[in-house]
Amino acid sequence: MLFDKLNLLFLATVAASVAYCLAVPGAFFVQVILWATLAATLGAGIRFVMLVGELNIGTSAFYGIGGYTAAYLTTAYGLPFGVALVAAGIAGGLVAAVFGYATMRTSGAYFMLISFAFAEIFRMLVVESDFLGGNNGIIGLFVSVEYEPYFAATVVAILATLISALAVIENSSLGKSFIAIREREEIARSVGINVLAIRVLCLVISSVVIAVAGACSGFITHLVTPNDYTFMIAVFALAYVKLGGEEHPTGPILGAILLTLAAQYLISFGAYQQVFFGTVIAVAMILLPQGITGRLRDLVRLTAKRTARDAG
Amino acid sequence: MPAETQPLFAAEGITKRFGGLVAVSDVSFEISRGEILGLIGPNGAGKSTIFNLISGFYRVTRGRTVFQGQDVSSLPIWKLARIGLARTFQHDSLLKGMTVRDNILVATTQFIRNPAEREKRMSETIDIMGLGEVLDEKASNLPHGHQRILSIAIAFSGRPALLCLDEPLTGFNQTEVLGGLDIIRRLREEFATTVLIVEHNMRAVMSLCDRILVLHHGKLLGSGSPEEVQNDPAIIEAYLGKSE
Ligand SMILES: Nc1ncnc2c1ncn2[C@@H]1O[C@H](COP(=O)(O)OP(=O)(O)O)[C@@H](O)[C@H]1O
Ligand SMILES: [Mg+2]
Repeated sequence: MLFDKLNLLFLATVAASVAYCLAVPGAFFVQVILWATLAATLGAGIRFVMLVGELNIGTSAFYGIGGYTAAYLTTAYGLPFGVALVAAGIAGGLVAAVFGYATMRTSGAYFMLISFAFAEIFRMLVVESDFLGGNNGIIGLFVSVEYEPYFAATVVAILATLISALAVIENSSLGKSFIAIREREEIARSVGINVLAIRVLCLVISSVVIAVAGACSGFITHLVTPNDYTFMIAVFALAYVKLGGEEHPTGPILGAILLTLAAQYLISFGAYQQVFFGTVIAVAMILLPQGITGRLRDLVRLTAKRTARDAG
Repeated sequence: MPAETQPLFAAEGITKRFGGLVAVSDVSFEISRGEILGLIGPNGAGKSTIFNLISGFYRVTRGRTVFQGQDVSSLPIWKLARIGLARTFQHDSLLKGMTVRDNILVATTQFIRNPAEREKRMSETIDIMGLGEVLDEKASNLPHGHQRILSIAIAFSGRPALLCLDEPLTGFNQTEVLGGLDIIRRLREEFATTVLIVEHNMRAVMSLCDRILVLHHGKLLGSGSPEEVQNDPAIIEAYLGKSE
């Protein structure tokens, strides 16, 4: 019941954001909406792999693969925004398939460490690649001028659709198979689930979405550099999940919106941004082990019980 | 050998070693189609290990397993499940955090992709197992009896030719035992399912099984009809006499 309401709230927020981006495309708040949308997609993407029980620090690398694919194709070949997004998604998916097949036999701390190494290797490879601009990155991702007024609204609509697609998959029988693997892998195997294949599939789906978000991030700043795609991206994403709550797809979205607004309006972090996000993860896990959405659900249940008791 | 006379399953001299411990030693037996075969023996005799060997969870150290005429000793678990060999687990046999319905959905989905047909199959499973009232309960919240039945439902969802049940009636009261036995008999009568069952409730085993294998210290001590097994001095000495 609460979760149905959260779904509605999500749709309403998306509709309002798209409308606002169309109405006042040049406003500063449009930038805030875009940052929150990227953050929400990162949170939804990292949570999706958590369905099979894994923490993918390599999320930052897939974000970067999307950003760099889009940047390279638009600046070197002049491909349009839409094509760049599709290409970024395909690149992210292909790399995820290879990386996943090689590494998803491991799990838990091992997979987390390997995915962390992958994030670092990606960053170092980019720094060493002259055709990707090395440390300076690639500048010059623009959408055409006549399209400019619709750009922000389009990004919000596309990423919101992808986030919703993740939620739909989570609710399908495939999504239940993900959770079954996390719950008890032996049972999943015993009912005919090819656990490795399904785990890789989960990573691929998440990475396609993350890579498309990465491509959008390049078009928003018009620039991609190695520093935009460090493993801290995954730490931020984890903060959204832990603060908002892990149980329901709207959790990381709520976390992403709150933390983006906090970063924009409440606190000027400067160099302390990482300290802040680390603290949020720690405090959320101590004070709100189920996140905000989990806490809300418990409160709703408690109230329902009280009402029932008072009535009876 | 024609398919009808060929045994559904055969273990040929299977052995499993864990370091220095030989948990299963040179065990051979066959399971005929439509049979309900009991596997009994004291704790630590190697019954669960045999289940793990049959279902592909462990690799045999020596020997081989043959299912429907095919050597399946090196097949992964999920492939064995898909060709019709299913098992339950003695411990933690459920997806505890998921609802009863989702447990059955996950167990059915690899076998039937079409959503409408899958729904039909699932209702059939739910009916036979009598789980209709508790569909939306989280598996961990179910009473013990329902939990054990749900673990049978999970294994049966793919309509396996051979269903291996590891102590399915543990912790049941007398009424529940009768209900459980009734379900297992129906699986054979209505679906021609062949059953291999490990169970400590001797009265239940004797009334249910066509034939019984007795395992002791990883070796097959003997086999026969329930009457033969109950009257075999060596078996009484090793097992029945002490535990009853
Ligand atoms: N994975 C394992 N590693 C080491 N020893 C094991 C393992 N599984 C079972 N065993 C040992 O094998 C023997 C048989 O165990 P098991 O098959 O569980 O017996 P049963 O099911 O008949 O009670 C026991 O001594 C047990 O400790
Ligand atoms: Mg056992």
